[in-house]
Amino acid sequence: MTTYLYEQDLVPQKYRILVAMRHDILVRKIALELNIPVQELRRYLIEHLDMIQLENLPARAEMAADHADQGDAVAQALGREKYTVYLQILSGAAMDAIFREVDARLQTGTPLDDAIAYGRIQIREALNI
Amino acid sequence: MKRIVDVNIPLGPIHPCFKEPVRLKCEAKGERITGAEVELGYMKKGIERIMKGRPWQEVMFLAERVCGICSVIHNMVFIEAMEQISDIVVPPRAAYLRVIANELDRMQSHILANFSYCYTIEHETLGMYLLDLREHVMDELERLTGARVTCAYMIPGGVRCDIQRKEAEALLVSLDRIEGDLRRYSGMFESGPMIALRSRGVGILTLEAAQRAHVVGPTARGSGIAYDCRQNHPTYQKLGFVPITRPDCDNFARVMVRFDEVFQSIDLIRKCLRELPKGVVRGGGVCKAGETRYSGEAPRGELTYFIKSDEFGRIVEIQIQTPSIMNIEACCHEMIIGSDSIADVTATFISADPCVACTER
Amino acid sequence: MNILQRIKNKVRSRSIHVAYVDVGSCNGCDIEVLACLAPRYDIEQYGIFVHNNPREADVLLVIGAYTPGWEEKLAMVWEKIPAPKAAITIGNCPISGCLFDRKGSFVDPPVKKHIPIAAEVPGCPPRPTEILQAIMSVRDSVFANWEEEH
Repeated sequence: MTTYLYEQDLVPQKYRILVAMRHDILVRKIALELNIPVQELRRYLIEHLDMIQLENLPARAEMAADHADQGDAVAQALGREKYTVYLQILSGAAMDAIFREVDARLQTGTPLDDAIAYGRIQIREALNI
Repeated sequence: MKRIVDVNIPLGPIHPCFKEPVRLKCEAKGERITGAEVELGYMKKGIERIMKGRPWQEVMFLAERVCGICSVIHNMVFIEAMEQISDIVVPPRAAYLRVIANELDRMQSHILANFSYCYTIEHETLGMYLLDLREHVMDELERLTGARVTCAYMIPGGVRCDIQRKEAEALLVSLDRIEGDLRRYSGMFESGPMIALRSRGVGILTLEAAQRAHVVGPTARGSGIAYDCRQNHPTYQKLGFVPITRPDCDNFARVMVRFDEVFQSIDLIRKCLRELPKGVVRGGGVCKAGETRYSGEAPRGELTYFIKSDEFGRIVEIQIQTPSIMNIEACCHEMIIGSDSIADVTATFISADPCVACTER
Repeated sequence: MNILQRIKNKVRSRSIHVAYVDVGSCNGCDIEVLACLAPRYDIEQYGIFVHNNPREADVLLVIGAYTPGWEEKLAMVWEKIPAPKAAITIGNCPISGCLFDRKGSFVDPPVKKHIPIAAEVPGCPPRPTEILQAIMSVRDSVFANWEEEH
């Protein structure tokens, strides 16, 4: 966010958007999936997305559930396109790096569940929460 | 997250072209737009919070006041959602009358949106022609429902009042006149060389980006997505409804889709009046407990109500997903990126027909 | 007040610039203000121009129930309008909050608390003719003693 001289503090207003019924369900779901505290995830979203993106989160998540990562089990489990292209909470480059690491682990014979768990930890670190 | 940008141009909240307050912070390199951030919060009234715990009789009027431009469809979607929860059957005559009210509302909303676009690209003559035409549509809406804007025409199990034979005849005459005038104006828009310079190839929203952002309504249909909630509505299915699309993805396509849809609405109303079944318009019914998700096609696109009610017809949980949320998001993060000048930003923003009152509720 | 001053006041009141600001309404009143521009009501035949630019306005139309986003900002807009000025509220929202002023909502009506208001037009929404009438009735009083005082 760029800082302006005559700016209002938008955090309370952004928070109000995030605690609406469907937004709350979605944020809790993501927090559970990535195993991070809900309030921390909210803070991250407030800092990194603008207000209209926050409003649009449920609709984008719905489209991601229908169309993202078709036909790739690992990408779907990690939410490769979901978090980068659809929800836009993580940059594509960071996600690609995580995906390469997970792929390398799978090649060396790590079980799928462990590799995905490792990938999620990496996502959490990339989010810096 | 701090970014260093070349030029940062805030537009709004008070801007001569914007009907409602919204703040766009455009990041530009020279005059080319590289990004934008939207600041809302000027219209946040917390309608969903007020709705919780209130009986449907009150929520019905609150739902209508989510948006003053498309109030009929908010009323219709809320009432039809309550009917779906409570298994209330609508008399066929009332179902047709609902379509007539809804299409009149769509006509005035689309004409208003195109007026705003013409006004924004400084074609005031065409804008004023359209605004004058809108008054005729408003007259018809007032004749049918009794009020210009917030009419509360639909109730569970029917509509409030029937249409008289004389009124129907007057409506048909008025529709002929509106169609004739509008054909002239849409021709002016389509063939105007200056309008084409300002509109064609400006504000491109590609099909993929539109799908990702869940864009709906004329904005999506201008990008070639053939999706319209009216396809799933039983009354519209009886009327043989087919959505209109254009493949151009630019401002011109979006405005032309709206013009085409007004003609389509005129045809739908004529067909409704021709096939209007006889019978009662108020069937009655009791609202019950239940939970549902119900969508309808607002003038701006898919409008969805998520409702949970208790056994006395009180609303326990509600969230409204309005079309403008998706459209404004796609507009600010896809369409205006790469615009050649700031003047194109306002034109592109208005071409997506943003309704901030809907977005914030 | 001599005759020249009286003529000046009269002439000034025949050329009014209007800005409107929406402080959290449902959009219905906005659209009725826009409808005043339509050739049917033709607000410009009375010498009233809707520019939506506070810096050159004489009359400010305030629509809506005052949301938290407008704290400080509405007062700033009011200060930017040059001296002979009046504010008119359109609709029920700025008067009482209409149906938005309930427990749990974010609005803070009436607008009267925040800036001085000259006239109020009730209605949800009022008809364009009523809005027009309100502007016309206020414009004479705005410039009534202007020449004498300055």
